[in-house]
Formats: sequence, structure tokens, C-alpha cells
Amino acid sequence: MDNDYYVCTGCALLCDDIGVEIEGGKLTKVHTACRKGVAFIKGCRHPLDSTVKGERTDVDLAVKEAASILKNAENPLIFGHANSSSGAQKIAIGIARRTNGYIDDTSSFCHGPTVEAIIESKLKTCTLDDVRHKADVLIFWGSDPANSHPRHMSRYSYFPRGKERQRGWEEDRTAITIDVRKSDTAEICGKNGLYQIPVKGDTEFMEALTSALSGKVPKTSYDFDKKRLLELAGILKKAKFGVIFAGLGMIYSLEDFEPLYRFMDKLNSVSSFHLIPMAGHYNMRGFNENLFKETGYINRVKFNGAEVLHGPEYSVVEALRKKEVDAALVIGADPLSSLPRSIVRYLEEIPLITIDPCQTLTSTKADVTIPCALVGVESGGAAIRMDGVEVELKPMVETDRLSDEDVMKRIMEEL
Amino acid sequence: MGFGQFLSSPEVKLRIVTYRDAFQDAAKVESLFGEEYERLSATILLDAKDITKLSIKENDTLILKNKSGSIVVKAVESGYEQPHPGTAYMVNSPWSNVLVPEEAGGTGVPAFKDFEVVASNSKGAKVTGIKDIV
Ligand code: SF4
Repeated sequence: MDNDYYVCTGCALLCDDIGVEIEGGKLTKVHTACRKGVAFIKGCRHPLDSTVKGERTDVDLAVKEAASILKNAENPLIFGHANSSSGAQKIAIGIARRTNGYIDDTSSFCHGPTVEAIIESKLKTCTLDDVRHKADVLIFWGSDPANSHPRHMSRYSYFPRGKERQRGWEEDRTAITIDVRKSDTAEICGKNGLYQIPVKGDTEFMEALTSALSGKVPKTSYDFDKKRLLELAGILKKAKFGVIFAGLGMIYSLEDFEPLYRFMDKLNSVSSFHLIPMAGHYNMRGFNENLFKETGYINRVKFNGAEVLHGPEYSVVEALRKKEVDAALVIGADPLSSLPRSIVRYLEEIPLITIDPCQTLTSTKADVTIPCALVGVESGGAAIRMDGVEVELKPMVETDRLSDEDVMKRIMEEL
Repeated sequence: MGFGQFLSSPEVKLRIVTYRDAFQDAAKVESLFGEEYERLSATILLDAKDITKLSIKENDTLILKNKSGSIVVKAVESGYEQPHPGTAYMVNSPWSNVLVPEEAGGTGVPAFKDFEVVASNSKGAKVTGIKDIV
């Protein structure tokens, strides 16, 4: 076995304890990773070819064609980025600026508001290492790490022994799930660990908990058991180091973040609570931080000369829905898989470029496809974990495919 | 053609909630175009009462439709302790995304995890394949 440890880029947990076996330059075994991580590291069965209009070609020609599409467009969309290295993301921002384009990532329709609130210091947060060493009360709210981040509970949140958590999960940690169904994570949280609420019931539950923490009688229109709510408030009050792992179940249910801010303020007046967004893709947080440094916004940006425009109208969803863009470059994402079919159908009407290690639904409709190395396996770089910690990535094997950063650099040079 | 072809199928309105599944995710990473990914994605988890209302048996296929589109998926009983008639669960995938409404109220965030469909017996139609979606 290779004595080095590597990082898995299968999800935003970026597990950095991965062992691999390599024979004849090929990866033969992957140790430590979860089922999803092993599949990710071993690579897909359908690698992407370099093509222009469905015909195989060399990368140089594909790069030239991609640059020509972007040059000829008035409002190109540069979208994806959540599965890209930070280096590729920074060049993507430069390409959007150079072409007066729209730039957006998957956080636009998932964890964007939470990451934004954290970057702007509106929500108290901590690192996953803090969680491992200190956390005693864990709330999985609308999140299901047993499925989305399979090693979350074993590596960081529930099961590991940490500096201040030496007695094991049975005694040292309390895990709670607040969800609309009994998820696999809820099963792990045990008999009384699930607080099952109705769909869209999150805001009311949050407000009722805030009342309970203030010593008032908690009420919900769906008559959630008051005794259980008061019991939960008691657990939260006693926490020495509490963490809320906010999932999309919670985020999508909130009309705005005011109830969450009130709840966190109240919690932090009686105990100590932090929030970590359960970002899925390995470098979504990286894109948010990189764009924020460049523009002051985490996503949904349109460049217009020296001006930077921002707002929901510049989101990938609204830009495609309203047919505002006239070409698209997709890197590190598969919008045809992850967005409503009725919205992404428009991508078939405009010149489309896809950069990815694998064939995707989006690549099947692209005019230009450019393969790149699988980041973390075939190429290195950096990424930012879901908790904001930067992680260095190094390649496990060699490849003759260009890294995602190099592909973007080549396109930029052609511009 | 069986006699059942001439009977009208009951239509049941369902609220769909989507979720994540690690095995489906791994199947996607291995092969987006593979059978395993289709098998784990094109499935709906129903309450036993809704299965009865729809006059179907477990593992029959159902047509799910709304203004955004229509797909055929396999019906499975959820097995959740807490009954949930009227609410059904689907793993997040290109199949569920066919049904997610386009209208996002100008927010840029479609209702991925909470939308309505009308379900009815597909009378033996095949599950929608990934190639039919794109
Ligand atoms: S939990 Fe995520 S980062 Fe860790 S091994 Fe699994 S897929 Fe990879």
C-alpha cells in the first residue's frame, strides 16, 4: 500500500485519511473511504471524450471552439464549479469577467443563503475538528448525513472520541434529528432522537423552540407535543458545545432566515451553539469564498464592464427560465441531472460547452465537450470543506488528461 | 390486452418529498446511464393506504404527472412507522426533476423537495429510462 494518505473528493467532507493501492500506475484498491467515495475515486464507467458537434477531435480544437463560442456570445453563462478545484474556479471567474458573463454555482439553489450568512458572520460556526473534539449536542436538522455524507457521524460528529469527548458516544454525545420522516440518520439517533415535523413545519418548530428556550409555552399549529418540545429545549440549554447541521430540508422550508437568526441568538444566550451547512459537492464552499473575495457576492453574479450585478435574476435558474443567456459553459456540475427538466431544456437551444471527467446528461447535449482529470485522483489543487477549512489535494495516479485548471487556463488564453 | 385496460384507473393527488440515498449516489457516480441508477432512482415510496387507493400492488408501475411533465416509476410501500397518506417520497434524481415545477417565484430556488403530482396505475408500462428523460 502507498504509505501516503489522500483526500476523497466524493463529497464536501473531504475525508483526508484515504489509503490506496496502485499497481502499474493504476489504482487497484481504495481503503477507508465509504461506498460512495470508493465509487468516486475508482472513476466512472463512461469517461468524457473531446468532441466538437458530436465528432471526436483533439483537445486543442475543442478548446478553440469553446473560446470561439464564448467570444461570440453577448451573455454567456459560466455555471457549475461545485465539483471543481479552487484554481479552476478562480479562472472561471476571470472568464466570466472577460466575457461580461453570468457566473453561478449549485449553491444558488441549495446552501447559498447559509454559506452567505456564515461568511458575513451572521451565524456562529465552527470546524468539524471542533465538533470531533468538543461537541456534546448534535442536531441534524433536515439533514441525513448517513446518506449524504456517509462518514460524517463516524469521523467527526457522533462516534469518534475527541479531546473533550473521551467517554464514547453513548455517554458523551446526544444526537437529535429534526425531520419530516424517519431517515437513516434518525434511526441512528435512537428511540427518542427523532422530532418528526410536518413538511414545511420547520419555521413554526423553530419559533416554538425559541419560545421554550425563553420559558414560554411552545405552540405549533400542528400540535407538536409540548412536553417533548420543552424536553428538547432543556437538552439544548444544557449543551456545552452544540452544533446544528443544517440540511436542505431545513433551508428549503424557511421563507427567510429571520426565525433562524432569532433561534440561534436565543440559543447562544443560554448555551453555545454553532451551525454548519451540509454542503454536498466537494468544493461548493470554495466557489462561494472565491467569488466573495473577487466580488463581495457568493453566487448569482453578472459582470458588466467594471460593474458587478447581483441578485436572483442573475441566478442560473432565472437566467435559463427567462432565456437571458445565449451560450453556456458548464464545469464541475450536471445541470441536466440536477435542475428541473423544464428549465434546463433551454440549454439545448444555445451553444453549450461541457468540461468534466465523465459523460453527464449535460454532455450528451453539448456542442463542445472537453475531458479533464478527476480532481483529487488524477490532479491536485485545493478545495474548501463544508466547514470552511481549506484542504490540499494531491493526485493519486498520473494521467494524460489536462487538469480542470489547465483546461480553463487554455480557454482563457484563447480568449 | 387484459380486461383491466378498459377500467379507468383511480387518480390520487400526492405531495412528493425528495431525499438523498447513498447507494443511489454511488450508482450515479459509477454509471449515470446504468440500470442500477435507474432502479434506485425511478421509485416512489408510498403509504399503504395510497397503494390501496390507487388499486395497485407493490412493485407495480405508476404514472406520475403534473404541469411540468410525466414519468413512470415503480411503487414501493415506504414501511415508515408513522403513516403518511397523501405524501410520498422519491430520491432526488433526474426523474424527480422532471416533475419539479419551473416556477420559482423569482427566487432562483425551485421547489425540489415539495411538489404535487397526480398518480395513477400505469397498467404495466415500463419505468421511464434515463434516455427518455433527456
Ligand atoms: S464521506 Fe464523502 S469525502 Fe468521506 S469517503 Fe465518503 S464520499 Fe468521500
